[in-house]
Amino acid sequence: MTKVLCITRIVWLDMLRRKDVYVLLILLGALLTALVSLNIFGLGGLVVYVKDVGLLATWGFGWILAVHIACRCLPQEEQRGTIYALLAKPVTRLQLVVGKWLGAWSVTCAATLAFYALLTAMVVFQGGTAALDGAVLIQGVLLHGAVLAILCALGLLFSTRMHQDAAATLTYVLSFAAFIILPRMPGLMARASGWHGTLVSIVYHLLPHFEIFDMRKRMVHDWGAVNGATFLTVLLYGAVYTALLLAIAWLAFRKKRFSRENLA
Amino acid sequence: MEFAIEIDNLNVRFPARGSTVQALDGLSLRVGLGEAVGFIGPNGAGKTTAIHVLLGFIEPSSGHAKIFGQDSRQSVARERIGYLPEHPDTYRFLTGRELLRMAGKLFLMKEKNLRERIDAVLRLVDIEQAADRRIGTYSKGMLQRICLAQALINNPDLVILDEPTGGLDPLGRMDIRKLIARLRDEGKTVFFSSHELSEVELVCDRVAMLARGRLVAEGPVTDLVAPGESLERFFLRTVAGPQSEQRATPTSREMGNRKQKGHRP
Repeated sequence: MTKVLCITRIVWLDMLRRKDVYVLLILLGALLTALVSLNIFGLGGLVVYVKDVGLLATWGFGWILAVHIACRCLPQEEQRGTIYALLAKPVTRLQLVVGKWLGAWSVTCAATLAFYALLTAMVVFQGGTAALDGAVLIQGVLLHGAVLAILCALGLLFSTRMHQDAAATLTYVLSFAAFIILPRMPGLMARASGWHGTLVSIVYHLLPHFEIFDMRKRMVHDWGAVNGATFLTVLLYGAVYTALLLAIAWLAFRKKRFSRENLA
Repeated sequence: MEFAIEIDNLNVRFPARGSTVQALDGLSLRVGLGEAVGFIGPNGAGKTTAIHVLLGFIEPSSGHAKIFGQDSRQSVARERIGYLPEHPDTYRFLTGRELLRMAGKLFLMKEKNLRERIDAVLRLVDIEQAADRRIGTYSKGMLQRICLAQALINNPDLVILDEPTGGLDPLGRMDIRKLIARLRDEGKTVFFSSHELSEVELVCDRVAMLARGRLVAEGPVTDLVAPGESLERFFLRTVAGPQSEQRATPTSREMGNRKQKGHRP
């Protein structure tokens, strides 16, 4: 575990010293301040409006960070040649994959928590402590963490065999498609038959169901927390999906031959 | 007898545009404990590929490689190795000291030992004054030295250096040469590939010469090279044939020999 944490620490130091996270945090702060102070379309006074746009921005920025960091971890090691010195030490490729994933996920989660803290401060400032249901907020943050775990694992998986830009593009396309199209697929499945139906069904069950982790509407409209069993089942789904993606990433990475030229 | 390195009938084939490239062709080599062995050969001979197999980066097509008797593919085999890659680079956002700490942690070194060892290797590669600066601000020579320091953090019994003097100025090359000599004197096994044949001649007990993936010569320099001949001339004669030998310019050592015999250079 020490070796995994050591690799995780490298990701943390890289991100802290590159300052990408700070830029997004400042952007979110500026956006929320503008929402509260400018009273756009006369909606500035509505807490619901601040929560809605703030959560959308938090999800968007978290998504960008997760894909950006996860897709860069391994190709960057290969590109700058540090992978050789790293793997020449008694470190297995599984430890490297897990360490990089943990680094990408923990950095993204920490940044997302900072986004949530900023949003909560704004909401409380606007509407008082009653404007936010603590239980829903905690559930929402935890499920958001599970989404980020899947995204990081997906990005890392693609980056084991692709250039970081290609991996990021593919992760964005696949994850957005899953997030937007999958909730509409049951209707399509009901109409499709034969091999079309089978194909649609496979796609439906294979892609990650990000929509089940989305608590934004509950948080915005104060619909209350979901029951514990449902919440834990969804968390478990996220954990299993992440573990599967990491296992595939390790299989793809374990025999890989490295070349700086291919990635330069 | 225990060997630091044992390579037996190693074959590595890479797929390349519909065909295969034989990077290593039945390579067999043994390096004893405490030996300093120069691994030489022309570009593309397979030196780096052989080193990558030794470090478990590449799976051989057939044959096997062992480090201190353990299969090189297992991560435990790398516990007693220090490795400096060709064109070394590292995490430029870390300070020199942070890099060495990270490297030591990967060997599960205890905190107190690690602190002492970091100071020792920083002194060894003479980079103490820049230890708390970001590596991004280092010169090429300093970068090479901090990478060498991270290769030595675990006080390895076997040091593998891939072109350690590549791109360095004469002063930097001399420092590396001194360091290799010091490691050898401390009883470490040193296995290094280089194109600087004069350096190999100076610091190695033995050379192994590779051409087109095959071992074409192996032994102590004094046994391989004829009296008055340089390792460079032997290299050209062995690898490229007599015609290239005629084209080659005389080396400084041969110039000295010619002057002694009254020849005009």
